[in-house]
Amino acid sequence: MNGCEHRETVASYVLGALPDDEHERFVAHLVTCDECQSGVAELQVAADALPLAAMQLVPPPELKDRIMAVVHADVARREAEAEAAQAAQPAQAEPPATPEPARPARPQRPRPWWRRPRLALRPVPAALAAAALIALGVAGGVLVSGGDEAARTVTALVDAPSAPGARATVAVADEHATLTVRDFPAPPEGRVYQVWLKRPGRDPEPTGALFTPRGGRAVVEVRDGVGGVEQVLVTDEPRGGSRVPTRAPVVVARLT
Amino acid sequence: MGLVHLADEDLMQLVRRGDAAAFEMVYDRHATAAFSLAYRMTGTRNAAEDVVQEAFLSLWRSGARYDHTRGSVRTWVLGIVHNRAIDALRRSMVHDRRRASDEGIEERFEARERTDVEAARRDEARDVREALETLPPEQSKVIELAYFGGFTHSEIASMLDTPIGTVKGRMRLGLEKLRGQLGGLAGAMS
Repeated sequence: MNGCEHRETVASYVLGALPDDEHERFVAHLVTCDECQSGVAELQVAADALPLAAMQLVPPPELKDRIMAVVHADVARREAEAEAAQAAQPAQAEPPATPEPARPARPQRPRPWWRRPRLALRPVPAALAAAALIALGVAGGVLVSGGDEAARTVTALVDAPSAPGARATVAVADEHATLTVRDFPAPPEGRVYQVWLKRPGRDPEPTGALFTPRGGRAVVEVRDGVGGVEQVLVTDEPRGGSRVPTRAPVVVARLT
Repeated sequence: MGLVHLADEDLMQLVRRGDAAAFEMVYDRHATAAFSLAYRMTGTRNAAEDVVQEAFLSLWRSGARYDHTRGSVRTWVLGIVHNRAIDALRRSMVHDRRRASDEGIEERFEARERTDVEAARRDEARDVREALETLPPEQSKVIELAYFGGFTHSEIASMLDTPIGTVKGRMRLGLEKLRGQLGGLAGAMS
């Protein structure tokens, strides 16, 4: 490590001490610099041993319970989706049924997700709903953090399979909320994200807070008051927003 | 063969396919190290639990990202925990609350040696702590502030009223010495 002007940055990098912008620049540089790659390999050995210097503490058993509740709910959801997909296939293969002369049955419309007993991030069969709701409730409960009633921050549950690292928080102060998302996926083509406020026993109310993350990030001020709101939700909607949600929420932040 | 006999790398292949039992085994093996690191960094039990929960759920949902050619599962897990803890520190000002609460938690939650592996890890931990203590104080300080404190090198330069180039140099010298002293301990993280 004698020639590269970035050689002194290697240690900051392996210690995680680079500010975000410098981190991005250094990672881009690292791709093309053999000297810095070699420096990282050398110093990473020492950095990787540092966690051992922390006093070893046993995590509380409830932590594992909470994590495994979410994991089992994910498994249940995947199995339910696989079963639903399997059930749908033979139906498509069958020849079209002979039309009945009698009055056609009125198509049964599914209940919108916000009128189901509790909001889950995705629809799950009734038999599995309990597990998912336990996970949702528990996780939502623990992730609430922050200080007094006047100002607090809630970590939201995010359902974005295409971006497993996506995060969202809602900061509430003086009955106004600010949503912050990080590592968040772009909305589908032609759509934007919209923030909704859900009060007990009522349909989600639309807000004018529409956003598209840039570089995975967005800070969105919700101008509507959040008094009495139990959940802040985000769905993707057509440009311009919707009056009624057209998709299941990708973010659920439980305020109460 | 039961899961308990599988290597971490083999468990991760199962986790990638959505095997909850394999994930649970990975959690059991590394949760103590993860929680310890998170607690050391955030200084509060609640924040440490949030960090560990976020990190393991991220691992569960993105197991495909694990690349065995770039290090052990343990190193990968602790890397995720470290990044999440830094995020938590930088976004929620936990810095201000550190060391102000949860003092004495160590006595209540300190890990007990239950197996030979855990006893060996305790010895390795002692070696790393001793190696850190042998560094010149100005070097160990910048390393601890950066790695455990989650501070950027420019924040450390301001805190210590020292040029940023000096801070970077101390970090590099300290890590080079640590690497030399730890020698064979590199395998400890595997």
